[in-house]
Amino acid sequence: MFGFHYKLERKAIGFVIAIIIAASIGGIVEIAPLFTIEGTVEDVPDMRVYTPLELAGRNIYVREGCYACHSQMIRSLSDEVERYGPYSLAVESKYDHPMLWGSKRTGPDLARLGDKYSDEWHVRHLNNPRDVVPESVMPRYGWLLRTPLKVEDMSGHLAVLAKLGVPYSQEMIDNAPSDAIGQAQPDRDEAGGVAERYGDATNIRVFDGNPSRVTEMDAVVAYLQILGKLTDAAHRQQDAEIPGDAS
Amino acid sequence: MVLNLTRSERQGAMIVAVLLSLVGLVMTLFGADGYFSTHGFIIMLAGMGTVFLVGRGYDAPEPSDERLAHYYDDPVKAGVILAMFWAVFAMFVGDWVAWLLAYPDMTFDAAWASFGRLRPVHTTGVIFGFGGNALIATSFYVMQRTCRARLPDQLSPWFVILGYNLFCILSVSGYFMGITQSKEYAEAEWYADIWLVVVWVVYFLLYLRTLQRRNEPHIYVANWYYLAFIVVVAMLHIVNNLALPVSWFGAKSYTIYSGVQDAMIQWWYGHNAVAFFLTSGFLGMMYYFLPKRANRPIFSYRLSIISFWGITFSYIWVGSHHLHYTALPHWVQTLGVTFSIILLVPSWASAGNALLTLNGAWDKVRDDATLRFMMVAAVFYGLTTFEGSFMAIRPVNSLSHYTDWTVAHVHAGTLGWVSMISYGAFYAMVPWIWKQKKMFSPRLVEVHFWLSVAGTFIYVFAMWNSGIIQGLMWRTYNDVGTLSYSFIDSMVAMHPYYIARAFGGFLFLLGACVGLYNIWKTMKVRTPAMVSDPSRPLPVAGVAAGSVEAGE
Amino acid sequence: MMEISHDLLVYVAKTHGLFYLVGFSILTLIYCYWPSNKKRFDKAAKSVLNDEDGPCL
Repeated sequence: MFGFHYKLERKAIGFVIAIIIAASIGGIVEIAPLFTIEGTVEDVPDMRVYTPLELAGRNIYVREGCYACHSQMIRSLSDEVERYGPYSLAVESKYDHPMLWGSKRTGPDLARLGDKYSDEWHVRHLNNPRDVVPESVMPRYGWLLRTPLKVEDMSGHLAVLAKLGVPYSQEMIDNAPSDAIGQAQPDRDEAGGVAERYGDATNIRVFDGNPSRVTEMDAVVAYLQILGKLTDAAHRQQDAEIPGDAS
Repeated sequence: MVLNLTRSERQGAMIVAVLLSLVGLVMTLFGADGYFSTHGFIIMLAGMGTVFLVGRGYDAPEPSDERLAHYYDDPVKAGVILAMFWAVFAMFVGDWVAWLLAYPDMTFDAAWASFGRLRPVHTTGVIFGFGGNALIATSFYVMQRTCRARLPDQLSPWFVILGYNLFCILSVSGYFMGITQSKEYAEAEWYADIWLVVVWVVYFLLYLRTLQRRNEPHIYVANWYYLAFIVVVAMLHIVNNLALPVSWFGAKSYTIYSGVQDAMIQWWYGHNAVAFFLTSGFLGMMYYFLPKRANRPIFSYRLSIISFWGITFSYIWVGSHHLHYTALPHWVQTLGVTFSIILLVPSWASAGNALLTLNGAWDKVRDDATLRFMMVAAVFYGLTTFEGSFMAIRPVNSLSHYTDWTVAHVHAGTLGWVSMISYGAFYAMVPWIWKQKKMFSPRLVEVHFWLSVAGTFIYVFAMWNSGIIQGLMWRTYNDVGTLSYSFIDSMVAMHPYYIARAFGGFLFLLGACVGLYNIWKTMKVRTPAMVSDPSRPLPVAGVAAGSVEAGE
Repeated sequence: MMEISHDLLVYVAKTHGLFYLVGFSILTLIYCYWPSNKKRFDKAAKSVLNDEDGPCL
């Protein structure tokens, strides 16, 4: 009796193993090569990381589910390039944990949104999109202006990303909370360290129009203004007029 | 529910519940942020509620051995009711967000009510809440019948169904608060993901243990599909959700993948969630309930096996068709297209197999709304898989991607196939498990059927139209060689379709409400006549116990 | 170093993938049409129709 049941069990387990083998081949074949892809992607020395303030803004973008309606991936199709700018390169999202390529454009693509509009436009638009675009169906995000930005745990965020391969230095990690504050309050002492650590091109200014405190609006606008600005690689590629696709 | 558990099962339930309460308590007390503490509190409430429930019946006498002569259907009943509650809740949220796209100011200036937060509530609620509960409940039912064996114990099925719903509650409550990984259809944060792994392992072992006790040498094909669903979803879930939390007592985590790898993993997961959650599992449902309800054997058993391996092998490749013309390497995109087209063969084999099973029983389809639900589901399955392969072709995808066409496609699959086959299975199974001759009101089944069909058609046609118009407007050039339409032009053009879609969704939701009411009333009907089937003599209790021991 | 291993992986992916597909299909078809399996399949197809009210004892 025992032997009989043992045999039956073996059949079921064998079946499960067959399912695993059948179902994993495709994934392994397609995904494994992507983890060695760095060698074939062009090296981009000017690729920079998100500052703590931009990262905080990115996390709010994730929290509010903006990716459900906005893509950040311009395909290599002529109308998209014309409408949004040079098509997206793999390298541009190499520090993105997670990527926010999106799958649906209820609103327009945001991959090259940075510097397209003024900070003031973004603040008014986020507060009530219909103030600046009457036909918009985007929700209002008025509370971003009212909510102070939480920065105390930013060091932890940078540390985890550093562990995952984003090149944050120990100094960046240690100073993350004050850098986040400083980037949105240029008059304070903390502001000096931001340019020193993240480069002179970093946007250091009051983003939400209110210099007295740092709100979630500051972070989101700082993030939106950096979209597509982490590297010039895509523009260089377009200028070089290399035919063919992103592979 | 507790009264049917044996003494040792009650003890086991108590231990699990106390452990769960303790974990919840620790999470509440030491949570690094309010979100984490809130979730700890929910876990603690779930644990303590179970302690209370089990405690109340703890000292009751043990159930008699007579129970072993019947299949154990209590968790199936719970699963059906939970599934219907999730359906009504999540479809309500879905319809709400549909209206939001037409009238965006219905958000009360509250973060939780904005589209971005409600959308994952809808998707998780319908896919995992409704679909998942339907799959778990029917799988318990089907595996017992096809193995001719009772579930090996009475505790683990409860752990699976209740633990799974705890996962759903943690996910959905998290999205309201803004806790999300942003991975589509896998938004739940790391601790909820770990909990799902625990539940899933118990589910998998439960399935294997039941198979081990089976009294049929051959494993019926429905179980193959269910098993593939369990095994592959586990694989997808674990790989896709690998992440490092910022703090072990905080909600936020960062996925270990970045950029192009993350995109590929995400859509490898995303498309195979469609394959193994929304297709394989529900095909298992179809291969049992359709022949059963039509009272005809499946048209070709061989074909069902061929399509099983075809689906299991081919589906896993096609995720990359979500990333055409992106920064994903070209050859991976090409592989995705190739397999998307190959996939049409096993998919249509399944749909054809279902329809040919009904061939010769069309009179039954005409008279019986339950069977008609399953027939329409098979038709939609065939249509949707064809559409899916079509949309995977690169030039078509260049038009359809990012537009409402994708939404139309997804809803043709979920409303037309997944929901309809579930409703069909429920309407077949509910009278059987509650020992009734028929549903409380066959008329309301008919009403539900027509509401569902009308809702699905209005929804899908509205979104097909809006999607194709959108795609064409985005790529239309004028004579000067510049783009004809601004993005906002295309949005304005969508408005009437968004209203039509929301109306179609409302009809579908109404159908779900009718279904819940009907099932609820069926469950409450008391007719003692059907308590046991007179055609089948009850076995002697002692014999039953003996054979179960031998089976362990 | 990286480049070599990437090319190798891509090569393996592109060639052996097809081989697996064909091999797998053939194995499935052999299993389905193996003569002695026919009886088993027919029995299984019919057996769901007459499952009883309780487990087989």
